[in-house]
Amino acid sequence: MAKILGIDLGTTNSAMSVMDGGEPKVLENQEGNRTTPSIVAMSKANERLSGLLAKRQAVVNPKNTIFSVKRLIGRKWSDAEVQRDSKWLPYEIKESASGGVDVKMGDRWYTPEEISSMILQKLKVDAEAKLGEKVDEAVITVPAYFDDSQRQATKNAGEIAGFKVRRIINEPTAAAFAYGANRMKNEKIAVYDFGGGTFDISVLEIGYDAESKEQTVEVRATGGDTHLGGDDFDKRIIDFLVSEYKKQEGIDISKDPLAIQRLKEAAERAKHELSTSMETEINIPYISSDATGPKHFLLKLTRAKLEDLVRDLIDHSIELVKEAVTAPQPKGAGMKLEDINEVLLVGGQTRMPAIQEAVKKLFNKEPHKGINPDEVVAIGASIQAGILQGDVKDILLLDVTPLSLSIETLGGVATPMIPKNTTMPTAKTQVFSTAADNQTSVEIHIGQGERPMMSDNKTLARFILDGIPPSPRGMPQVEVTFDIDANGILSVSAKDKASGKTQSVKIEASTSLNKEEIERLKQEAAQHAAEDEKKRAVIEVKNQAESMIYVAEKSLRDAGDKVPADMKENIEKKIVALKEAKEKDDVEAIKNTTQDLSSELQKIGEMMYKDNKSGPEAGPEAPSEPKTE
Amino acid sequence: MDEEIKKEEGVSTELDQCMRERDEYLDGWRRAKADLINFKKEEAERLGALLRTGNENIIRDLITVLDSFDLGIIATGESNPAVMKGMVLIKTQLEDVLKRHGLEKIVVTKGEMFDPTKHEAIGEMGSEYPEGAVAEEVERGYVLYGKVVRAARVRVSKGETKQ
Repeated sequence: MAKILGIDLGTTNSAMSVMDGGEPKVLENQEGNRTTPSIVAMSKANERLSGLLAKRQAVVNPKNTIFSVKRLIGRKWSDAEVQRDSKWLPYEIKESASGGVDVKMGDRWYTPEEISSMILQKLKVDAEAKLGEKVDEAVITVPAYFDDSQRQATKNAGEIAGFKVRRIINEPTAAAFAYGANRMKNEKIAVYDFGGGTFDISVLEIGYDAESKEQTVEVRATGGDTHLGGDDFDKRIIDFLVSEYKKQEGIDISKDPLAIQRLKEAAERAKHELSTSMETEINIPYISSDATGPKHFLLKLTRAKLEDLVRDLIDHSIELVKEAVTAPQPKGAGMKLEDINEVLLVGGQTRMPAIQEAVKKLFNKEPHKGINPDEVVAIGASIQAGILQGDVKDILLLDVTPLSLSIETLGGVATPMIPKNTTMPTAKTQVFSTAADNQTSVEIHIGQGERPMMSDNKTLARFILDGIPPSPRGMPQVEVTFDIDANGILSVSAKDKASGKTQSVKIEASTSLNKEEIERLKQEAAQHAAEDEKKRAVIEVKNQAESMIYVAEKSLRDAGDKVPADMKENIEKKIVALKEAKEKDDVEAIKNTTQDLSSELQKIGEMMYKDNKSGPEAGPEAPSEPKTE
Repeated sequence: MDEEIKKEEGVSTELDQCMRERDEYLDGWRRAKADLINFKKEEAERLGALLRTGNENIIRDLITVLDSFDLGIIATGESNPAVMKGMVLIKTQLEDVLKRHGLEKIVVTKGEMFDPTKHEAIGEMGSEYPEGAVAEEVERGYVLYGKVVRAARVRVSKGETKQ
């Protein structure tokens, strides 16, 4: 089945995504980038260019390089927006015969739809090249505030590009889909979208009708500033750097395009770096020169300084959010800030910690930000495409194990067999052994939870496998298999490889914990992580000590009279010491005493090798994960 | 008799349904198997690509160091030839390392026509070359395994300089 392309047709950049194997996948364009500049141009050689190639020649061909056409699409010439934009856009626009807008590129006038269609066409061609198949259908996103005419024009652009436009959806709705809103019921969501050139805030209300099983997404309010974006942030940083350099060297580099280019790159890098660190260094050698020789630029930029530079922009966006949420309808959603259940961050600029903080402070809620904010809208569009295609609805929903399933091993340790978040159905087999000599049965204790000690986890079942032929510890091989079917039913079987004897148990409720219980268990695990780790460490050294005692005793037994009495006595003393140490919880003491015994024991080996080339038989390796009884 | 026919019909519908379901499940299972195999193939391909281009970010950052060397060499040139030679050698060392990791310079010849697949215009200037040709290379461009990681920054000719 041909894929439907999900397209985020942005003002500055566009992105595209498809559903692949039930998962959204962002597609790279021909240039190998995940976003494509929303720019088209007629080059001086009379060649039509789109995306990055159009951008690369913009400086020398400003009149024929069309960007930000989304600001014009579907609008009337008389719109205040259009009038305002006509003053600064470097290319020519005029009123069309129908009262809309026409854009001049090369020696022809185009409608904004036609220009947009050229961007969409590039995406189509690149997607087809990437996927190796035809892509004829698309879901395209538009801002929530777009009116019918703007939506229709966007749809037309899609059709001109050769798409059958299956649906036009709102950008915030797409973002909400990407964050799983198609599974949400009755929630109020605020979407804070800080793009390159525009800032949008939308308040959505998701409703669910239990009877018709239909989900509705209603846009309760929109707001924002069509001339506020990440580019303003970059400009602030560059202006600051230019003025600092002037202070340092007395040279104005704002007119040197190469210097500005290098500053811009350094500013972008600094902005990214300051998202994770508190301070960064702007280091641009040979940025300019004067009579005295070459000049360099070195400056420390702190996160605090950066935030200072753009504080008013962030504050302004927060004011707009407040207005959109709280102002009475129709200006706002007429809600209280605390009515909002979820807050989503969209747009590259929202990577800035100061923005995340400001949004969090406003709503008193951690905003969602797990998905790449440059791609979240395209991803949501492809999810909508998947729903239309039946991909999303019909995909086999494979559940995951909510908590780890473990088996108890020596010292009460919970050894995970199937870790949490493993997709079901699944099976895992592992071989265990005995902890004592002549042990004829083992108890299989199955538990669920994230704590390292079995006693802290929930016991699901226990059973005994007996009839194991008597043998030294560590020799028997008990094969334990955990198998969960697609319905979450866990079967555990244990088989003694020597006798072939098998025991098994079926547990129906292994995954049927309710949400609260799972959360509680996870939280407990997180709370106790440190002390649990300590406990587990103690058990581990105790287990090692026990193995060492076993090996020592066995070696003494096997060697018999070949060991001199004083050596034997020494080892026996150390064994007693270790047995005593093992009873206490002092990890260091147990470790040291184990080490003592180990070195003492090596002496037997050395001596035997010297005396007798054949040497004694080594004791069986202590089992790595023996099962206690 | 009627009842028997009814029963038989019932069994046959049930059988039909079972067979339909069987086909559906078998198909689903085969698809799932195929999906997994395909996923593994794609994953291997993706991993290969990642190995080749995984260094892209660090190489991009190192390109700015090469730029600084270029500017440094020009600035030092006449005043101190010995230092300049040292800088050239260090730069060549760095270039060699990057070359081993797949980075290649974009060769720009003055007078060739501006080509946005490998050039980025940062300005215009009068020159002896025809309008729309590359008049000057300002910053080198680089290609990493066939992908332009940075276009060569150039000034484009406005046509003949009128003095």
